[in-house]
Amino acid sequence: MSAMLVTGSNGFLGVATAERLLARGTKGVRFLVRAGSDRRRLDKVMAKYPNSDARIVTGGLGSPKEAALLLDGVGIVLHLAAALSGPSAEMFLGTVVTTKNLFEAAAQQKPPPKVVLISSFGVYGVADLPKGHVVTEETPTERHPERRDHYSHSKLRQEEVAFEYHAKHGVPLTVLRPGVIYGPGGGAFSARVGLALPGAFLFLGGNNLLPLSYVDNCAEAICVAAENAKFDGDIYNVHDDDLVTAKDYLARYQKNVKKVRNVKVPFMATMALSHAVEWYHRHSKGQLPAIFTPYKTRAMWKGNGFSNAKLRSIGFRPIVSTDEGLARNFEYLKTK
Amino acid sequence: MSLRAAIVGCGKIADGHVEEIQKLVPKAEVVGVCDRELVMAKQLAVRYGVQGVYDDYAKMLAETKPDVVHIATPPHVHKALACQAMDAGAHVFVEKPLTLGYADSKALVEHAERTKKKISIGYSYHFEPPAQELRELCAAGRIGEVVHLESFYGYNMDGAFGKALLSDPHHWVHAMPGKLLQNTLDHALAKIIEFLPDERPIVTAFGSTRRDTRYGDVRDELVDEARVIIRGEKTTAYITFSGSARPVGHFLRVYGTKNTAHLDYNNRTCTLDLVPTLPSAVGRLVPAFEQAAQLVKEGARNLSRFSQSNFHFFAGLGELFRLFYSSIQNDTPPPISPRDILRVAWMLDEIFAQVRLPQSKQAHTTNGAELEVKA
Repeated sequence: MSAMLVTGSNGFLGVATAERLLARGTKGVRFLVRAGSDRRRLDKVMAKYPNSDARIVTGGLGSPKEAALLLDGVGIVLHLAAALSGPSAEMFLGTVVTTKNLFEAAAQQKPPPKVVLISSFGVYGVADLPKGHVVTEETPTERHPERRDHYSHSKLRQEEVAFEYHAKHGVPLTVLRPGVIYGPGGGAFSARVGLALPGAFLFLGGNNLLPLSYVDNCAEAICVAAENAKFDGDIYNVHDDDLVTAKDYLARYQKNVKKVRNVKVPFMATMALSHAVEWYHRHSKGQLPAIFTPYKTRAMWKGNGFSNAKLRSIGFRPIVSTDEGLARNFEYLKTK
Repeated sequence: MSLRAAIVGCGKIADGHVEEIQKLVPKAEVVGVCDRELVMAKQLAVRYGVQGVYDDYAKMLAETKPDVVHIATPPHVHKALACQAMDAGAHVFVEKPLTLGYADSKALVEHAERTKKKISIGYSYHFEPPAQELRELCAAGRIGEVVHLESFYGYNMDGAFGKALLSDPHHWVHAMPGKLLQNTLDHALAKIIEFLPDERPIVTAFGSTRRDTRYGDVRDELVDEARVIIRGEKTTAYITFSGSARPVGHFLRVYGTKNTAHLDYNNRTCTLDLVPTLPSAVGRLVPAFEQAAQLVKEGARNLSRFSQSNFHFFAGLGELFRLFYSSIQNDTPPPISPRDILRVAWMLDEIFAQVRLPQSKQAHTTNGAELEVKA
């Protein structure tokens, strides 16, 4: 029996994925962690399944050689590892170069292992699409990811690398694009809801729908894809069924966690602010960062619909309802 | 004449290089970027609109024919890349640390002399606006003769770079003879070097690891506290490197025979501790207000710089580039003399010889290339 390698298994989504895999009785799982990392959460999950044959392996994806050491006997890789913040170069090193190393090593295997790549909604190029456009797997990807943010830029290039190895070297590939992953251990607000500034919260999301994916549901989607996806370069959006709006999310947060002094900024006002910020950024030659630009604002806060029909077609069903997920998350946030 | 600049090494610091060179337009333009990992070169090029994108250094040199090459790679390849650039007819700006040791640095500087090319290094702090103010104070005779220098360099191991080091046992910093100190103490030394005339002062140093060690590998060997005493004939200096003291300080004090200057790099202020001129209790009452007035004045200066869009993060680097490029265009001495570059390199070797720095026989870069490490 070939093994399953899970990269990024010590992260927010990684630990939840570990739990789902173990709960589903998946055999031969290897959880990849970096040497010396704090893995108390992962250890806790492992301790709940003492009869599992899963094990933790230490290593990295710093080179194809290093990655190759991890692939011995591996039939499928759940590739969750990615850099989530930092300067562009660090995000590219932590996301794109590591992915290239993994795929380079995978391409050398006979046969190459299957790979489930965890990408992001950030790769969709929605800035120039009309308000309300329903984001499906057919929605075009970003034409100018560098104008969006470093995360989206690196995730799109990561996908491009993966598809290149799929096409040229026959590495079986399935790509999952989660929306906003949330849950205990994560943050309170997605940027799609708004931005926390010192002393006030800029509420930017209005009545926009949030593509929420409760972390356990996202983990479940990964497990379902590993079992049922076609690995022919197929792509699946990952979010829950019963989505809420940014306004609803903020209201529930205030009711269940704490009051937030928020300033509601309508979309047109955000656009005006974005033009001003972008102008000053250029005029001052980058003295202040271009946190808002019209392009980013259109991509983030114009408002879209979402569809997870394709993911459902391969058997995904959320295991936690949004009501329950939000309740658990707010309970956690209240204790922070 | 517009200078054609090329960058090799497209990591984090390369952003600062491209940004600051592009501010020199029309005196300079970035014509090419190169990284052995093409993905990295592309991400830099697409964000800054650079046309030439390479993963082959020789090809970049041949095709773009740069006047200046900025070496922004890890330091183990600085010497080879810089020599190659000079042989191709380019001047070189090398990120710090210059090389892995004094012998290599000396060879590199000698290569620049042989090929009649200019060389500079990223000792940028002493080109920030308040550092220029300090020079003006010295030139105006407000400090007098320099008696003693105190250079404090605080470090946050929880910051982005510290985290990168601690999360990756193959990070290039672990492969340097001086490890983290090699990447930090050169800044602290570069700040004092122009005030220290001695060619070979007496250097005494010790270091320790204060944080909890838990990795069981090369990462536990990072020294995060170091103290250095430098004794010249007439001028002395203390250098403090601290990974634990808070707030993370970053300053230089210049003790003169007339007054003492305090340059705070974090706050971008330069103030004087003035010799009291008023008697008795009044003499103890006034200085606090005098200090406050100086800080208000410095704050106003910074505000003015900000309003003129002249308060960037890489202000010192930009000024250093401007001066270096001018020195190329006018064939005048570079802003940092080769002598000062080599004196810093020599003192670093002296420090590392005294601070306990266990050396792994072999280390790796983040991309897995094996490096030979001095034992």
